[in-house]
Amino acid sequence: MSLKYGVLGLLAEEPLHGYEVKNRFEAMLGGTWEVNIGQVYTTLQRLERDGLVRPVGARGDRGKLLYELSEPGRKALASWLAQPESGPQELREDIYVKLLLAARVANSDLGPLLSRQKRTYLQRLRDLNQLENRARRDGRFDLARLVRGALLHTEADIKWIDELSETAISGDSE
Amino acid sequence: MDRRAIGNGHLWGLGMTELVRLTDITKVYQGGVTGALNGVSLTVEEGEFTAVMGPSGSGKSTLLNLVAGLDRPSSGSVMVAGADLGRMGEAALARFRRDRVGFVFQFFHLLPNLTALENVLVPAQLRSNTSAESRGRELLKQLGIEEIADRYPAKLSGGQQQRVAIARALINRPTLLLADEPTGALDTRSGDQVMDLLMQLHRQGQTILLVTHDAKLATRYAARVISVLDGRIVDDARLETAERAAVDVIRVRGEETRR
Repeated sequence: MSLKYGVLGLLAEEPLHGYEVKNRFEAMLGGTWEVNIGQVYTTLQRLERDGLVRPVGARGDRGKLLYELSEPGRKALASWLAQPESGPQELREDIYVKLLLAARVANSDLGPLLSRQKRTYLQRLRDLNQLENRARRDGRFDLARLVRGALLHTEADIKWIDELSETAISGDSE
Repeated sequence: MDRRAIGNGHLWGLGMTELVRLTDITKVYQGGVTGALNGVSLTVEEGEFTAVMGPSGSGKSTLLNLVAGLDRPSSGSVMVAGADLGRMGEAALARFRRDRVGFVFQFFHLLPNLTALENVLVPAQLRSNTSAESRGRELLKQLGIEEIADRYPAKLSGGQQQRVAIARALINRPTLLLADEPTGALDTRSGDQVMDLLMQLHRQGQTILLVTHDAKLATRYAARVISVLDGRIVDDARLETAERAAVDVIRVRGEETRR
């Protein structure tokens, strides 16, 4: 997703100026997405140009400008929220390509690579566990849900590595 | 990875004593390969919380049974707390199990015609330790189930039964606590409680070897995770335990903003 709907969503609660948008957005995501303030202002300007938000009043204190959601903005947000995510699955991590190349280049002893990768995933799983606990302890159940998603992904990654290790041990019959 | 091992300080740390040493273990089962072990070597230090992780049939439970003296390897040696289990006769091995290891199983294995407290006291009585009752009650209290001491297992929830089993495992102050899928038969909540208890015991210095198929469970509690696959150890990871900032663990990212 782009920042666009994040901004629209926060403005749906109440009018905010750019810096508040940045702070609230980052707080909502518990520090898992750092936003550049310049990016927020650019996004606000673009949304204003498209008629989805509008400034409230004049520039106030130190040139701060409040923005609110317009009716088209509200509609755009609602339809985005109602839409399931589609499109191809994105595998962003290099490991997917690395394994293909390692099999070609390094004469296919993937064992050490798989074992190191698994270690990374186990560490990640431990870190995510801690993060989930911390979120619950702090009463941030929304954030805990986000971490759950990441946890399940990492569990799947580990299963995948295990499967690859098993075929590496028993020999690939394909 | 080396950085992690050193940073963790387990191997080169202060005063760590080796408690378990498996050397070149093989275990062959007649008529099948499932659960067999094929050249496993492993050491466990005193005070460690180690998880042995692998899918069913990988040999992880076999490994635990060998350490517990419940089973003998086809070849290789098993040393626990300085004793060579391979040199022990059945009687000595039974004594070893009674005095040195506590065992927690997936399905509790409580005796149905004994109360919770009586179940806890069984290993102490086998040792002719008749003064163990106060320790038994103390353990039940520590595990938060003192009020069910006189109830029979059939009247207890799964989580309570497992806590009774943990108390029973601890009654003789074992050098080593072995747990084989201890949360496998429990709902998430009771499972978490049982694991939190094990964690507490670990913090008090108890050495724990946990067998599980569950990576989340393993990494949540154990700082060392050993992966077993097809009867072999394929990885031995010592994890960093320091808490990390959220941004170093997860990054939610959008597509680049387009014009």
